[in-house]
Amino acid sequence: MGENALLEIEAVSKSFGGIQALYNVSFAVRPEAIHAIIGPNGAGKTTLFNIITGVYTPDSGRIRFKDTEIQRRNVHELVAYGIARTFQNVELFESLTVLENVLVGQYVRTRCGFWGAVGRWSWVRKEEREARERAMELLGFVGLQDLAEKRSGDLAFGWQRLLEIARALASQPNLLLLDEPAAGLNAVETRRLGELIQKIREQGITVVLVEHDMNLTMEISDRILVLDQGRRLAEGSPREVQTNEAVMSAYLGK
Amino acid sequence: MALGSAARSPFVIFAAAIVLVGAGVSNSYYLQLLTVIGIYTLLALGLNMLMGYAGQISLGHAAFYGLGAYTSAILTTHFHVSPWLALPLALLLSAGVAFLVGIPTLKLSGYYLGMGTLGFGMIINVLFREWSSMTGGASGLVGIPPLAWGSFVLSRGRAYFYLVWLTTLACFVLCERLVNSRIGRALRAIHDSERAATAVGVDTSRLKLGIFVFSAVLAALAGFLYAHLVSFISPSSFDFLMSVRIVTMVAVGGMASIWGSLLGASLLTLLPEWLHVFAEYEMVVYGLLLMVIMIFLPQGLSRGVIDLFAQRHLLSSLAKRLKG
Amino acid sequence: MNELLQYIFAGITNGAIYAIIALGFTMLYNATELINFAQGEFVMLGALGLVSLRTGLHWPLPVAFAVTVLGVSAVGMVLERLAIRTVRKPHPIVLVIITVGASILLRGLAMLGWGKDSFSVPYFSKHPPIQVSEATILPQSLWIVGIVLLTVGVLQFFYKRTLAGKAMHACAINKKAASLLGIPSERMVLLAFAISAALGAVGGMIIAPITMCSYDMGTLLGLKGFCAAMLGGLGSSFGAVLGGFLLGILESLGIGFFSSSLKEPTAFLLLLLILYIRPSGLLGAKAVKRF
Repeated sequence: MGENALLEIEAVSKSFGGIQALYNVSFAVRPEAIHAIIGPNGAGKTTLFNIITGVYTPDSGRIRFKDTEIQRRNVHELVAYGIARTFQNVELFESLTVLENVLVGQYVRTRCGFWGAVGRWSWVRKEEREARERAMELLGFVGLQDLAEKRSGDLAFGWQRLLEIARALASQPNLLLLDEPAAGLNAVETRRLGELIQKIREQGITVVLVEHDMNLTMEISDRILVLDQGRRLAEGSPREVQTNEAVMSAYLGK
Repeated sequence: MALGSAARSPFVIFAAAIVLVGAGVSNSYYLQLLTVIGIYTLLALGLNMLMGYAGQISLGHAAFYGLGAYTSAILTTHFHVSPWLALPLALLLSAGVAFLVGIPTLKLSGYYLGMGTLGFGMIINVLFREWSSMTGGASGLVGIPPLAWGSFVLSRGRAYFYLVWLTTLACFVLCERLVNSRIGRALRAIHDSERAATAVGVDTSRLKLGIFVFSAVLAALAGFLYAHLVSFISPSSFDFLMSVRIVTMVAVGGMASIWGSLLGASLLTLLPEWLHVFAEYEMVVYGLLLMVIMIFLPQGLSRGVIDLFAQRHLLSSLAKRLKG
Repeated sequence: MNELLQYIFAGITNGAIYAIIALGFTMLYNATELINFAQGEFVMLGALGLVSLRTGLHWPLPVAFAVTVLGVSAVGMVLERLAIRTVRKPHPIVLVIITVGASILLRGLAMLGWGKDSFSVPYFSKHPPIQVSEATILPQSLWIVGIVLLTVGVLQFFYKRTLAGKAMHACAINKKAASLLGIPSERMVLLAFAISAALGAVGGMIIAPITMCSYDMGTLLGLKGFCAAMLGGLGSSFGAVLGGFLLGILESLGIGFFSSSLKEPTAFLLLLLILYIRPSGLLGAKAVKRF
């Protein structure tokens, strides 16, 4: 499909017990672009998302990331490859501080193991120092630097969302997958979220988001994939998708 | 780093306290009691790392305690191995068993792990009771040799008090370092949300197994120290009720609190001393304690009290802000 | 051959007990996703309750039976009310420890109430043992199997035909949807506790005549019942019954052909085996959940 595609989804199908959640879906994610996956409820967006992030294995088809097939990999292995994700309902480590959440996000980029922890050698202390500095930078990037020592479970929802994104960025991903990042945010927060996503793209990170908020999606996306009932309905730029008849009838006709 | 020197001082104070108490107490009964508290603290510490920090339940921890005790006892009495050699063997065996048991059971969570460890604990207890040729069966194993350094006998009075407490202190330091490290954070992350921990790249299965083995090793160490203190062990010291006692120490003292292990172990060792009719009411007391603490103070006494203090502080500072 | 038959009969008898205890676990799990570590104590209370009412007060059997069931159900409801419902942060560890604590508490109270002695209860009926080929069946065994099958039937009826049962089934499938439909899930949980306690009590009562009843009989039975539930597949009533009988027979054969010291470990070894190989059990009822 695409030369230089960062992520390629080839003819992926998945069914659960007799329900075909996805059928023969293909598309390519271009590097350093913002992609959105949209579609009516039950379209298969979350299933596709979960397949990309390693939660499910497709029944057929392949997923290629940076020219490596990843559809059989475990969730935690994909992070080392360069894929990070957020959750629809925000899954923070609530008893940890804001800073500590981001520190855990750096897990795959740090090395200290059991013996290193026990020995607390100088390289371990150095790694810890540098990790904290990087974590503070990330918090600054999303605007949470003043809340670093707060218990993350006590944060307001909008800030928790930002923290989750910072945590995902901490693993230095090439591909960031956002699961309905605008859910539960008001108009102002959504606009700020859009700006943040664009800032992330400017850092060279490719973003794929599943979203229901059409304003946000149309505004920031470079390319949009539309799913309906598990099948690929349309794919293209926002303008192309907006004027696509099949898309309109899928949304309005339901 | 500032964190290093600040964290060292509670341990220095604690070490000083150990030296002072050891020097000050001369009544041999009290010395033995305090020594036992030290052993139980070690037990509680190990389980706390598993339950409090990583959030995994073990209802059969007495099995590892027993494995440490019995392995060393059998090696030193039947095979005349030096206790100092028996120790690493006992720890290795415990680690190996924990590894094998952990692989299948840690794949599951919550209740399944609880039941799996409960069942495992029972099997090991049956082993202690049935393999009479080695373990002496239900009547137990006698004649466990004391620990000695050359001709100096350690398993007695003040010497053993120091041995046990210095071991416990060393493990405190070890655990504190573990908790405040990349590994410790990852464990606490698993406790809060295993799903999210996996999503940030933590190999949760491996970490859980690792901390399970670690806690088993600490329990085995406690068992070793116990066996050579009392010189006679029997399966009834390593049964389900003992596992419950260890869980209670952790729950009452404070989950995810290293000092909580000390608090819990102390309280639960001293309780029978204070309540003379305790033997009859022991189960009722444990049961009530567990339920009440879990319902009202799930963080345990040490954390719960700290939280209460923190809240009061919060309230009063809020009040000041509102007024001024 | 005659030995085999005898072992199988013994296995079926014990299996019936495990089945009904397993049912208690399963039905509570279905309604609440909770595993009650105190389930075995309900069995113990049923047995000791019958001892007091029957041997102690000489009440007629049906009355003693009914009163004990109601009494133990009440204990189950009190447990739910005081302990389960009031928990603020239901992290799995907290709930496990609470039910473990309840188990120990009930055991301790039973020890205070009944002491450490063992008691027995007369058989339900005075018939002589029955000869089948070269094996003997105690009439009590027939009572046991019969009552268990009857209970299973009643439960099925409850689930399929009564409103409360169907509501509980709905809650098990999807709690949120059920509450949106107006089913009061809190009351369902209470009911589930009551019924599972009752099931435990029945198990205790029917086994009372053929075993020594004491304050500590519950733990092992509860554990075995849980093993049976897991064996068949937690979440499946049919699995619980199947698992119970299977466990009983396997255990009996193990004791008979190998060694009597296999009585306890068989269940646990099977449990570990199941957890290892196929955590969803033989019937693979529900996927093993993550919390």
